[in-house]
Amino acid sequence: MTAPTQGILVIVLAAAVALGFGIGGYRVWKLYRYMRLGWDEDRSDRPATRLRDELVIYLGQSKLFKRPYLVRGLAHALIFWGFLVITLGTVDLLLNGIFGLHVPGTETGLFAWTIDLFAIAVLASIALAAVRRMFFRPPTMHVAPGGYVILVLIGVLMLSLLVFESAGIAAELVKQGFTPPPLAGLFAPAVRGPYAHLVFAGAWWVHVLTVLAFAAYLPHTKHLHIVTTLPNVLFRSQRPRGALRAMADLEEQETFGAATMRDFSWKQHLDGYTCTECGRCSDQCPALATGKPLDPQKIVLDVRDLLLREGDLLMRDVHASGTPPAHQTETKPEELWACTTCAACVEACPVTIEHVDKIVDMRRFLAMMESAAPPEAQRALTNIERAGNPWGESREARADWADGLEIPTLAEKPDAEYLYFVGCAASYDRRNQRVAKALAAILRSAGLSFAILGREETCNGDPARRIGNEYLWQIQAQANIEAFDRYSVRKVITSCPHCFNTIANEFPQLGGRYEVVHALTLVDSLIKEGRIRMAREGPVDRGNVAGHPERTTSSLDLAGGREVVAYHDPCYLGRHNKIYDAPRAVMDAVPGVERVEIEPHHRERGFCCGAGGGRMWMEEQVGQRVNHRRIDQLRAAQADATKVASGCPFCLIMLEEGVGAKGLQEQVRPVDVLELVASRLEGSADASH
Amino acid sequence: MKLLVCVKQVPDSTVRVKVAGDQKAIVPEGVTWAISPYDEYAIELALEHKDANPGTTVGVITVGPPRARDALRQALAMGCDDATLVTGADVETLGGLATARALAKVVDEVTPDLVLCGKQASDDDQGFVGQALAETLGWPHVAIVTKFVASDGGTEIWKEVEGGHEVWKASGPAVLTVQKSQKDPRYPSLPGIMKAKKKEIPEKDLASLGADLGGPSVEIRAMEPPPARKAGRVMKDGDPKALAAELAKLLRDEARVL
Ligand code: SF4
Ligand code: SF4
Repeated sequence: MTAPTQGILVIVLAAAVALGFGIGGYRVWKLYRYMRLGWDEDRSDRPATRLRDELVIYLGQSKLFKRPYLVRGLAHALIFWGFLVITLGTVDLLLNGIFGLHVPGTETGLFAWTIDLFAIAVLASIALAAVRRMFFRPPTMHVAPGGYVILVLIGVLMLSLLVFESAGIAAELVKQGFTPPPLAGLFAPAVRGPYAHLVFAGAWWVHVLTVLAFAAYLPHTKHLHIVTTLPNVLFRSQRPRGALRAMADLEEQETFGAATMRDFSWKQHLDGYTCTECGRCSDQCPALATGKPLDPQKIVLDVRDLLLREGDLLMRDVHASGTPPAHQTETKPEELWACTTCAACVEACPVTIEHVDKIVDMRRFLAMMESAAPPEAQRALTNIERAGNPWGESREARADWADGLEIPTLAEKPDAEYLYFVGCAASYDRRNQRVAKALAAILRSAGLSFAILGREETCNGDPARRIGNEYLWQIQAQANIEAFDRYSVRKVITSCPHCFNTIANEFPQLGGRYEVVHALTLVDSLIKEGRIRMAREGPVDRGNVAGHPERTTSSLDLAGGREVVAYHDPCYLGRHNKIYDAPRAVMDAVPGVERVEIEPHHRERGFCCGAGGGRMWMEEQVGQRVNHRRIDQLRAAQADATKVASGCPFCLIMLEEGVGAKGLQEQVRPVDVLELVASRLEGSADASH
Repeated sequence: MKLLVCVKQVPDSTVRVKVAGDQKAIVPEGVTWAISPYDEYAIELALEHKDANPGTTVGVITVGPPRARDALRQALAMGCDDATLVTGADVETLGGLATARALAKVVDEVTPDLVLCGKQASDDDQGFVGQALAETLGWPHVAIVTKFVASDGGTEIWKEVEGGHEVWKASGPAVLTVQKSQKDPRYPSLPGIMKAKKKEIPEKDLASLGADLGGPSVEIRAMEPPPARKAGRVMKDGDPKALAAELAKLLRDEARVL
């Protein structure tokens, strides 16, 4: 090659690089500007955890290997890791082409081998991906033509890379200080000959131009996630998963919640750029699965599409008049109200997108700006406001369940070690009053010093907050914090996961910091310490669980020597607070209980009962009822189970309703794990009072 | 159109009221107070009219103790434009007629086109003040109203009757006493609540209105709580046929509902 041709080629290359990265870069710059139209949210807390997440979730691809996505996940991880290595090679090629420089280490045999092996893995993975998209596409997966374009581009990249490497070896252009890598070495003889030089140059150009086409095209597609996942993981929420974002200074604000693109934070917009449209969130959504109009992926894409649609307009408009257009997302209220805030979507998303926050932000707009919560939900809110409980039962009746049980209130026993925060369900719902009594009996038998607030307790506001009425939540939470502080409460027990979540994860937002423990975690440690002893012959057989003279249907029936009990993971115990093992350990410690799982919907993949997110207070008329689906799953997985145990009053209500509606009362009884323990408590009749 | 809604603050329906020692009143401590439910429907009706006719103003008024200010604040949060509290000594024991006469004085001043009241208050269920107000003012009155619209030279008023409704027409100002309607009273938006918090609520002194607060009145002689409900009975053991027969017998002889 003559020097002038060489010079021209370098200029052509430089121009192509400028064009490819220019087109891509311009788009990225625009997307960045759009994103900054969102409000400023601080995501700089806990830098060390952020770094760790980056290593584990981004570099380690940890969220991809979940069942049932193991094979696909591995294929994706291989493409990803392959890309990291190959990108280094590409940078080297471009630097070498334009400036004649090399990235250190890229000329070693190790690097050539790594590239070669990863190229093989990537080719295999994209073949797998293409076959899956063409022939085995799951119904929730949405494949745009752009998806194929990207697969073809990656394929061309890998093939040209291999051809170019082989030709390099064949033409002896590459230093041969090492054994040729397998694939390139395999093909090298095929291109050996007079044209090897030409093939080398051709493949080199095809490769480099494909890289540039890729750079230009990428930011226009969902494959931008290749880039945005990095910041999206880095800036993911470091709040406890169960805690919603606090809205500060409500008195000072003029608008509440989210409807237009300005009402979402920049991070929420980054979520949209990062969505890979993989549909994993939708696969796990109990609302979608039961025919509701909600699809978590659509929620994410609605927000993104709104931003893309209006971004340009808004940016221009902002300069022109300073008044942003106020278009709202395509998301309809009925989609938002269908959400149980179960976080199955958040758990499933490989790129840490935060669906629930968006849904609740949009609910906040509906509930607080428009007063447009569904009427039944509104009634529950009014009840909380006026009576301190969503049922609208009298405030004065809050501690009636404890009548005659001699359970002290903090006013009577201010030095009690623990406050048992009973919660509305166990205070007012008859079925759940039995659970409160069971817990009281257990705590007594363990000799724990505890008291309740009695009438000074009021709803902690969880349903209000999740329905979107942050204002009411703050009032309720504040009232409880004041009551706690009146008695200098330090340790709190709850038997309700929603109470647990709110007091442990959300009260700190208002300055209420306590040591909060869910009853099942506490009972687990009391059992391990030997403070709770159970026997096959529980006192219940002698008729005295906490004022319940009769043997109840929630007691264990050990006539057959054992009873098969399935465990149902409450979302706010499991996914939101990662309490999976304690309830299981407690069940395993109860003599005669044979614990079984509702496979595959257990632990992280537990299926909601349908009551969370304020759904307990709303009607459910579209599709199958979520709790009925749950009973179907139970029966399909564990037809032998004669009880299904949970650790949440709302799950209990929902499971009871489901079992009743399906006429299965004789086959399977819903219970709380605490009831199983109470029914086997060893000791004198008065141990359980 | 200028609308005026008269409301009363009563114990919320979730409150378990206790009778005071003298058996003449309830114990006010620990009571959650609220706007009487029918009055809330009256407010909703007025606000719906305002939604449809932006020129409308909705005022709200109550005759009551200072705590009744909260009820007015709630009405403002729902969207009423202004509120007036009429208060003074002995206001809590004021009879229905005196209340109506006091209200009439304010109506004279405000000169609304229509006055809306709930058809009765949920505390004493007397259903008296609205009618008495119309009588005092010498205005026509339509009871059990579920809807009204302005029409040529007056107002068309829907009055609920057994199995349907009648449409009445008022050619000038009138008093409507409002029935529960299809649409639940609205829940205030948060901006509404915030705005209401900052609004001024002027106070009028009951005694200086110049209303005749004497006249015939009723007096509570004694109150007593309803008898406690007897515990229910569960019948479950035995064969279904015999249980059904037993149940029928109990329903007839003991509960006397058959
Ligand atoms: S939180 Fe649960 S119900 Fe709501 S969108 Fe996600 S998966 Fe669906
Ligand atoms: S939100 Fe997450 S899980 Fe859902 S489609 Fe997008 S990337 Fe996949």
